[in-house]
This record gives sequence, C-alpha cells and structure tokens, in this order.
Amino acid sequence: MRWLPEVRNLELDLSADQELLRETAARFIADACPLSTVRQMIGAESDLPADYFKTAGPLGWFSMLVPEELGGGSVSGAGLRDVAIVAEERGRVLQPGPFAGMNIAAATLAAAGSTAHRTDIVPALCDGRAIATWVPGDGAQGTGDRDRIVATPRAGGVSLSGRVRPVQGGAQADWLLVSAGGAPRSGGGQSQFVIHTATPGVTVTPLAGLDVTQRYAAISFADVVVLDTAAVGALGGAEADIERQLQLACVLTTVETVGAMDALFDITRSYAIDRIAFGRPIGSFQAVKHQLADMSLALEASKAIAAAAVGAVQERTEDAGQIVSMAKSWVADTGVDLAQGCAQVFAGIGFTWEHDLHLYLRRITMNGLLFGQSDWHRERICRLSLV
Amino acid sequence: MTTGGAETVGSATGPVLDDYRNAARAWLAANMTRRDGPPEDGDVDDYTPDVMAANRALQRRLYEGGYAGITWPVEYGGQGLSRAHEAVFWEEAAEFVMPDFGALTITTFYVCVPTMLTSASPEFLRRYVPKVLAGEQLVCQFFSEPSSGSDLAGARTSAVRDGEDWVLNGQKIWSTFANLADAGMCLARSDWSVPKHQGLTWFLVPCDAPGLTIRPIQQINEVAEFCEEFFDDVVVPDSDRLCDVNAGWALTRTMFVFERGAGRPEDESPLEGPGPLAPDLVALARRTERLQDPLVRQQLARAHTTDYVGKVLGARIAHLGRLGQLNPGVASYVKLFRGTTSPQRARLTAEIGGAAAMTWDPAEPDGAEPALAYVRGRGASIAGGTNETQRNVIGERALGLPREPSFDTDKPYSDVLRDARNWAADA
Repeated sequence: MRWLPEVRNLELDLSADQELLRETAARFIADACPLSTVRQMIGAESDLPADYFKTAGPLGWFSMLVPEELGGGSVSGAGLRDVAIVAEERGRVLQPGPFAGMNIAAATLAAAGSTAHRTDIVPALCDGRAIATWVPGDGAQGTGDRDRIVATPRAGGVSLSGRVRPVQGGAQADWLLVSAGGAPRSGGGQSQFVIHTATPGVTVTPLAGLDVTQRYAAISFADVVVLDTAAVGALGGAEADIERQLQLACVLTTVETVGAMDALFDITRSYAIDRIAFGRPIGSFQAVKHQLADMSLALEASKAIAAAAVGAVQERTEDAGQIVSMAKSWVADTGVDLAQGCAQVFAGIGFTWEHDLHLYLRRITMNGLLFGQSDWHRERICRLSLV
Repeated sequence: MTTGGAETVGSATGPVLDDYRNAARAWLAANMTRRDGPPEDGDVDDYTPDVMAANRALQRRLYEGGYAGITWPVEYGGQGLSRAHEAVFWEEAAEFVMPDFGALTITTFYVCVPTMLTSASPEFLRRYVPKVLAGEQLVCQFFSEPSSGSDLAGARTSAVRDGEDWVLNGQKIWSTFANLADAGMCLARSDWSVPKHQGLTWFLVPCDAPGLTIRPIQQINEVAEFCEEFFDDVVVPDSDRLCDVNAGWALTRTMFVFERGAGRPEDESPLEGPGPLAPDLVALARRTERLQDPLVRQQLARAHTTDYVGKVLGARIAHLGRLGQLNPGVASYVKLFRGTTSPQRARLTAEIGGAAAMTWDPAEPDGAEPALAYVRGRGASIAGGTNETQRNVIGERALGLPREPSFDTDKPYSDVLRDARNWAADA
C-alpha cells in the first residue's frame, strides 16, 4: 500500500543540492548509528559512537550557520534550512549528541566571539573535533531562579555562580557557551562566555533520564573566575544573541521531533495493516483507523508549522520569535499525543523494552520539555503579541 | 449520450498574456467600479432581490465584454482561453467590484457548470451555458437528503422515465442558497434494482418547476443559508438530463473534484504571518476583565496558534497539490483540521466570556455575537462530510489502511434498505 503524501519531508521544495545533503546525512546515520547502535549505547558513559562527530563534521553538520571565511558554508545559502534538513533526518533515527548546542555555539562564536574564538574554537567545532553545547543560565525559559547563573564583575573579568540542569551533552562537551544574568547589584543585563569544561570551579554531573537515547548533565559554577577574553559579545548586552539562540534551539529541537514523529508514525501505520485480530487487519476497524487519521493530521500540521518556523528564523522576520514559540508548543504537545496514540495502537508489544516505540516516546517527550515548556511558550506568545 | 467533449481548461492559444492583461485592465477601468475596501462575505440576508439584480447586471456586463467563462468553450458562450488568461484577468479584477452571488458564485461558476461541461449533451450546453454566463441562471445543488448525508450515494429521491420526460419524487436538504437560485443540479435514483452507485442520474431542475417546494431552514445560529426541497411529481424533460442514465456516480466524483477547488484561480500569494492574536477572543477577555488571567492567556495563545497552524497547513496541502500529490485523502486534512479545531475554538467564547458574555442587552450592538459564535462552531465538523467521514477518507485514501467490510456495494439498493431494516429489527 502506498502512503500518501509521498513527499514526507518537512520542506517540500528541496533543491538537488539539498536533496544530496539529505541523502548523505541519512546514509551516514544508517552506517554510523542505526537504531541498533542507539540501543547499544544505552547505559554507556557517552551516547556518541567513536568518531561520530568527527565524521559528521566534514559532512557539514556543524558549519552551516558559520560564514565561509571561517570555514563554514551551507549548500543553499540559507544555512538554517540546510541544518533543519539534517535535524529532521537525525530525528527519524533518534541520533545522539548535542546537535542544537553545537550549531548554536558555532553560530554565536562566529558572529559575536573574539578573534581567538573564531580562529581556534569555531574551526574545531565545524570539523567535529571539539564538542560544544549551550548552557542557558540566563533565567529565561520559565526556569526562574532554579536554573540561573549570575555573573558578578571582578578585576579582569567576572565570577560565575549558579547551576543549570539539564544541559544536553554537558558531560561530552569540551566547550560550554554559557548565558548568564548580571548580579542584581551590578544592575547588568545578560552576558555570554565560552568556557572549557576543565575550568576550575566547573562541575559537570552526568544525569540519568527519561530519554535513554540522549545524555544530559547538571552543570554548576562555584565562583568560577572568567577573564574578559572569554566574553562572547558585549558584557551585559547579550540579549539579542540569546534570543537568537533560543529560536535556533527551539527550531532544531522541534524539527528533530517532527522527524521522530514521522518515523514512529510510519512503523505504527505498517503495524496496523499487518496485525490481524478478530479476522481483520486492525487498521480496518474505524476505532483504530480514526486514531491513525488524527495522528496523521497532527503530523502534517506539525510539519507545516515547523517549516514555517524554520523559514521565519532563517529570514529573521519580525514575528519569528512568536512563530517559533507556536511551533515549539504545538509540536511538543501534538508530538506527545502522537507518541501516546502510537503506543495504544501497538498495545502490549509497545510496552516492552525490546520494541523501539519507547525510544521514540522518550525522545519526543523530552524534546518537548527542553528550551521552554509549552505553557511558558504560550505566555511568551501573548507577550510578543502585545496582549 | 455523446458528451459535450468540453475541455473546461481552454486552449493555451489566444492573445499574448501581456496584451490580454492590458486590454483587461483598460476594459475594467472603463466598465467596472473600483472597490472601497476588501471584498466581504455577506450573510444570506444581505442578498436582497435588489442586490441580486444588480449583481446579475454586472455579470451580464462581463459577458458582453467578453470576460465571462474565460476558460469555457466558445461554442457554449465562453472565451476558450487558457487558465493563465483567466488568472491574469482575476489579478487585474481584484481591485474592482465583481459579481457576487454569495455561495451561488461558487456553486454556479466553479462547481455545477464545470461539472456539466464534462458530461452533458452539446445541445443542452449550447442552450443553457450562455444563460449562466449572462447572469440569467444561477445554479445550486440538490444533493444531500434527509436520509443520506455523508452517504451521498444512498440518495432515495426517485426519477422514473415517462416517455420523453422523467418524473421526480422525494426530498433534498442542505441546498445552499437554493431560495436565491434559478435551477438546481439534482441527483436522483433512476434504477433501484442495481447496487447503489450504479443507479443514479443527474438532472437540471428549474427552481420554479411545478411540484417543487423550496423552504429555507432556520439554522442553530438563527440565519438560513440552507434550504430543503420537496419534489412532488416534478416533471423534467429528458433533454435536461446531465449524464448517461445510471452514470451519475462518476459525475458525482467529478463534482467532488470541483468542490475541492479544482479549476479555480489559484491563490499563490505568499503566506502572511500570524497577524494579531485571536482578536475576537482578546476583545472578549478584555470585556470580561480576564485578559491578565494566566489561564485565559494560555487559552488565547492556544487559539492563536491553532489559527496559524490551520493557515500553514492549508498552504502545505495546496503546495502538495501543485506537486501532483493532491489525492482526496490528502485534501481531507484541511477539512478535518477545521472540523476538529473550530468546535474547540467556539467553546472558548463561552469559557473565556463566561455567563456575562452569554447574556446581553438586546440594545447592545453585536451583543449576541459570542453566543452565535459558540453555536456556529459545530458546523465545520459536519458540513461537507462529517469528521468521521474525513477520517475514513484519510485512513483509506492517504494512509492505505484496509476498508471496512461493506454491506451496500454488491446488491440491489432496494435489497440494501430491506436488509438494513431487518438488521435493526433483529437487534
């Protein structure tokens, strides 16, 4: 049986070059980290198979938001659209590693970092030789004081205190792009720093978690002395960069979720055709068929709003922040609906560790909780719409 | 019956598009009036006899100017030009007041007559289509019945041959704007001894035919867009039959294609942003002093997000259509989205507005609007095929899921009805 629409990608008009990028990413994933490998890495210290990022780097995974003169470049000239193609393929096979964090760090360091950041760190990230992730400690995203890092001025730099939990890939990262709020008495705004994880006072604690296909860590800062040379952009003036990072993080996470939803729905649909009960394929029963129709509608709508968010952030439209929050909250909520609905179609077999359903359920659910939960995004939508 | 052989999409030949555009622009400026603001969808009550007469006169002016039926065949009064010519004309016409017959604009010019052009006899089309183009004939659909809504092939209005005529008896319902139309395209059962899809035939029935009674139906929201019709020995000449005898279901499927929007000038304007946050609900929250309530704000953002997701989903499905992916299952996504989200959104008017908004001073302008919006919201989950029907179409036509066992496709329709009655009696 054919499944229509045959065009299943989030973006409907891929150029020949973009189609090649997609195929190359899919082939690399199938070779380097198929679901069987994702499974093998469960419980291992790192979720990354040997040389995973070092091989992905030359495929362009971490350099598409970086200008060509710094060793980056995209296939279409619209970097985020290209990164999103990779994110969608990664989502289909629940790929490991802080993909959003890598791209965010590379993009921000290339745009706002010092010359040293741009010549030393950015090329290493583009190549996949070094791993970086984002530590959003600015107190936004609805976490309030629980996950906040405060920068207090001191001679020659600042001192950082506080913690953020969870940070994707925190224990695998070499570099942290840290967003911090100013100390109340200095009245400062938000600042950003790039810090090596081996810096004295930085403690990285690996965490166990719902999503067994990804690693998270708690990262705490105990009066970590940071020199001015580690600052990324103006001290107290990082607000616009952080907003951009939030948009990128939400878009890439959302697109990855859509890829995972598409793959999960595909195996569920096949199961509903293959599984026989009461003398009929269970997908012929309206009770099952209608659930699948609703899930498939949720999936098409998720693709549409995710693609709209990719476009808005790529083009930096005035309403990009609002559209991103719509996409993030919509896909987070409908993604969980879809994953739970698929579990109901699989029934007993989906309740086993051996079946892949739970891996998708875990990733889709966790992605929906990262970078601002849905209710926080909905309040943000109201605020950004001046209501 | 030999068909008209009509190509509803005209030939690609004809004037060069730029020349055509210039000529259309000059003609419009000389003959039509510029609009003050964007066109508005009127309520049925807005289409008074005077308004209808004025719009018929505008349509006649288009016809005499050579801009009616741009893609329809020349032999039936059209211009025989390409879709590209038609698109150019409507781009130029966007700033002008154009003929507006409410829902009858779509049923006449984009559904019924395009359907007839694919199957009716050349003799009929030569006689009838020019009257449509001249604004003298507006066509509605006599399609649904009290006993067949989503199951349209189960129509029970009967057509019995009587020499050169047919005699129609039965009842139709949900005919949009039938009280303002001149004729209706009517689906009737011409043979009860064959399976249900094989005994149907389409006819054109004048709205003033003796024995035909048309009654507007007051809806849940108090307006009357729809009518019901009673056919008591209505005589229709065989020359007004619109397809081969018993070939009505194939023509019905053609009609579905036009109902879904085939052949209309395409709107490829770039998608706009989300726009202001659900203005109706924000106004309601402000009026009831709940705009700062965090729970209400969650609902407002949900409604706003759903509105925008509906827009981008529509654009995605239209885009899939342009890529040649528009099978009926895919087209049903937009319908099911509206059918599932509109009732929820309508509920928000009651939840946000509360009892204060569900009561009003009769002197207050638009005071009834929240309550009307609340009851109106159910329509989208029913009209044009229920949500359940859309889910079947998506499941079977888009997802390739196996069909339910059928109880009515392989036996005479008269037996189907008998067996179903016995089934209920055995329960």
